[in-house]
Amino acid sequence: MKRPLTAAAVDRRGFLSLLGVGALATTSGGLLAACGSGGGAGDQGTATQTDKLLQLMPKYQPVELIPPDIAGAGGAPNGYLSYPKTLVQAITETPGTSGKEIAAMAPHWGTVPPALGSNSYYDAVNTRLGVPVKFSLQDGVTYYEKLNTILGAKDVPEVLCIPSWNVAGLAHFSDAVAALFQDLTPHLQGDAALAYPMLANLPTKSWLECVWNGKLMAVPYPSDGYPWAFFYRKDIFTQLGVAPPTTAQELYDLGKAVTDPDAKRWAFGSITWEVERLFGSPGSQEGWRKNADGTVVNKIETPEYAAAIEFMTRLFTDGLVHPEMMNSTGDAKQLFNSGEMLMTTDGLGGWEGALVTEPAINPAFDMQPVHPYSHDGTSTPIMRNGGRVVFYNFIRKDLGDDRVKEILRVLNWCGAPYGSQEAELVLFGEEGKHFTRGADGTPVKNDLGNTEVAGPYANISGAPPVITPAKYFNQVQARVDWNNAVTPLLEKDPWEGIRLEIPSKVAALKQPTEDKINDILRGRTPLSELETIKKEWLEKGGEEGREFYAKALSDNGR
Amino acid sequence: MSAITDERAAGESVKPAAVARRPRRAPLKARLRRDWPLLVMTVPAAALLVVFHYIPTLWNAIAFQDYNPYAGVGGSTWVGLGTFQRMLGDPGFWDATANTLALTGFQLVFFFPIPIALALLLNSVLSRRVRKVMQSIVYLPHFFSWVLVVSFFEQMLGGAGLLAQEMREWGMEPLNIMNNPEGFPLLVTAQAVWMDAGWGMIVFLAALSAINPSLYEAAASDGAGRWRRLWHVTLPGLRPVIVLLLILKLGNALSVGFEQFLIQRDAVGAGAAEVLDTYVYFQGVVVGDLSYGAAAGIFKGVVGLVLILVANRVAHALGEQGVYSKQ
Repeated sequence: MKRPLTAAAVDRRGFLSLLGVGALATTSGGLLAACGSGGGAGDQGTATQTDKLLQLMPKYQPVELIPPDIAGAGGAPNGYLSYPKTLVQAITETPGTSGKEIAAMAPHWGTVPPALGSNSYYDAVNTRLGVPVKFSLQDGVTYYEKLNTILGAKDVPEVLCIPSWNVAGLAHFSDAVAALFQDLTPHLQGDAALAYPMLANLPTKSWLECVWNGKLMAVPYPSDGYPWAFFYRKDIFTQLGVAPPTTAQELYDLGKAVTDPDAKRWAFGSITWEVERLFGSPGSQEGWRKNADGTVVNKIETPEYAAAIEFMTRLFTDGLVHPEMMNSTGDAKQLFNSGEMLMTTDGLGGWEGALVTEPAINPAFDMQPVHPYSHDGTSTPIMRNGGRVVFYNFIRKDLGDDRVKEILRVLNWCGAPYGSQEAELVLFGEEGKHFTRGADGTPVKNDLGNTEVAGPYANISGAPPVITPAKYFNQVQARVDWNNAVTPLLEKDPWEGIRLEIPSKVAALKQPTEDKINDILRGRTPLSELETIKKEWLEKGGEEGREFYAKALSDNGR
Repeated sequence: MSAITDERAAGESVKPAAVARRPRRAPLKARLRRDWPLLVMTVPAAALLVVFHYIPTLWNAIAFQDYNPYAGVGGSTWVGLGTFQRMLGDPGFWDATANTLALTGFQLVFFFPIPIALALLLNSVLSRRVRKVMQSIVYLPHFFSWVLVVSFFEQMLGGAGLLAQEMREWGMEPLNIMNNPEGFPLLVTAQAVWMDAGWGMIVFLAALSAINPSLYEAAASDGAGRWRRLWHVTLPGLRPVIVLLLILKLGNALSVGFEQFLIQRDAVGAGAAEVLDTYVYFQGVVVGDLSYGAAAGIFKGVVGLVLILVANRVAHALGEQGVYSKQ
């Protein structure tokens, strides 16, 4: 999943001149004025001042129910090697008071569990909540289309969960937010958040990303900030006698060594992101960087990107990439899990998912992330920095203060952190019915648990991320080691915290430019075309993009 | 002689009387009283058309605006022909249109005759049971989704697919079928044939069954062999249907497909796979520019209408009834 452009806060005046009109003004000139459009002055992207945002933030009050076994270094999540022996009841009073059903919509990946009424897990959680929550679970893969439809129809449920990677694709999203969802600032600003202690436990960096139009609009499900990792099949590597790479040349040699079409085994999928990262190509806001002298450049202008494209082209033309990944029908996860493809980029959630399903099918399955390395092995590697939010949870407008407070109490309950009884109920269900305890106390879901217990309660409000054996089984140490190795190398995003709405001219350039780069990668056009593509990109809107991003920085005094 | 003149005079006097006595249509009320059950039966279908086709057409107005779905039609600014200008001045748009027309032309030559041939083949099968079974098998793929069809082709003909595996086993270099931009028109036509030839065959089978069998007998008794019978009896009998479908297809000339091309875009590159619908998707829908999408839709509709009208005229000139005619 691509990391999205962070959504923007735009005021009405600025907005109308952004999309369409801005582009029109630059292309059709005088005729446009005659048609009464108002002759927009061009795009005015916006950038809200960061200190104003900080004033809207809920007060941060950490809740630590049990001390961690392995402390995360430098802000990385903490690790727990074993399941806590005694669980704390984090919330004593019942959140729900009205008894009126809460309608919620959330994405779901995997088999949909039985609906409310035939699902004992839902019943158990709803009893504890004191108010039934009715989930409408939608397919996560096509959720974006569903969102477009319901936002366009202005028909949203009381609680709507929107993944952060879908936000960039939703047209006029700031307008949608202003029109459809409740302003949570009065409920959560500053000390008001202390009424919801679990929400006050969520990191401020995550809350900062929930601001639209100068108001706090959503409850975040925090992410640990690592957008994706480069994984390899350690079991097959050991079998073949190869080791994970430490330089770009090693990556290539490794690919050549393990690719064997007769044995139905290829080294890589479409790992363009990894190769770009490897060569140090800029990655903030999908490809921008602020140089030391203050100029803003796009990756397409940098020699690092050219080197990355050249390398990736070699991988494609030498047949090291799995043929199915050339198409949009290629399923990277399935190919990786079955061993047809040995290295892939995936979100950390993909690791968690694979750890649940794969060991049952293949006991030798061992998926490990590659520790960061740079293209020549000596320069400092960079790791991509991700957004701080996985899901945004919005509450519908015009519900009345009491109802909003009730919903916030429910979200608060769902956000109870690791080590609480509430978290155990949300993640595993009821003891004996949905899970049994292993020898070390770790819950293990039984068949009923696997069918009925799904993610939505966890998704509509998230506890701060921790690494636990429940998610990572025996890989907790491996995950924490990777986190600690990666955290000091995270790319600093000069635009962090600034809300940006990209001018449509620049946004429309993305697909055609990607298509042309794709042609180079697959060997259809020569590498020298990159120069031409760069010139075209600069002419058709790249320079404007640069001005936009540079202005965003200077407006914020960076 | 006088008898003849008398007849002629009588004939002339008959004519004006006949003209004066042209049958008059029954008054509206009488017609309503007579026909109201029929009218009531058409009301649901008419309502469906009005609600889902005619009224939404009014929203084409957004092509003349800078549309913002949350401000609605009332709250969005009007830009007149600005969107159309932007669209028509975009070289990418014309590249995509050229691609679309090329693919339509290719499919017209290589796809269009196949359902006809299939219908003729199936029609000549004597056993009814065999014919029914074959018919069902052949038209079922029409109901598959494009994702399924492309995945299937990938699994069979792709670089990691069955054919490639077999070729490697025999020591040969596998063919590059799925990732070849030059062969792309042939590939998409093959996929379309696999999926839709059976479905298209149904119309032709119905038309074939309407041809009078005594015509065949007459031709056979005149010494016409199989191929002459085909040329002189069957194809002329199918001509009205063929012309009708051709005209309709021309009306859809700019819609060669969407999903099929979106899925295979990465495999062969945008140069080969960009059609009008995918271009408008990326330039309009993805970026949130709904006005652009509406403008492109109007463009397609107008071009399609013109094509249908012209083609219909040509059909009339050739003596066919076409899609509609004045009679």
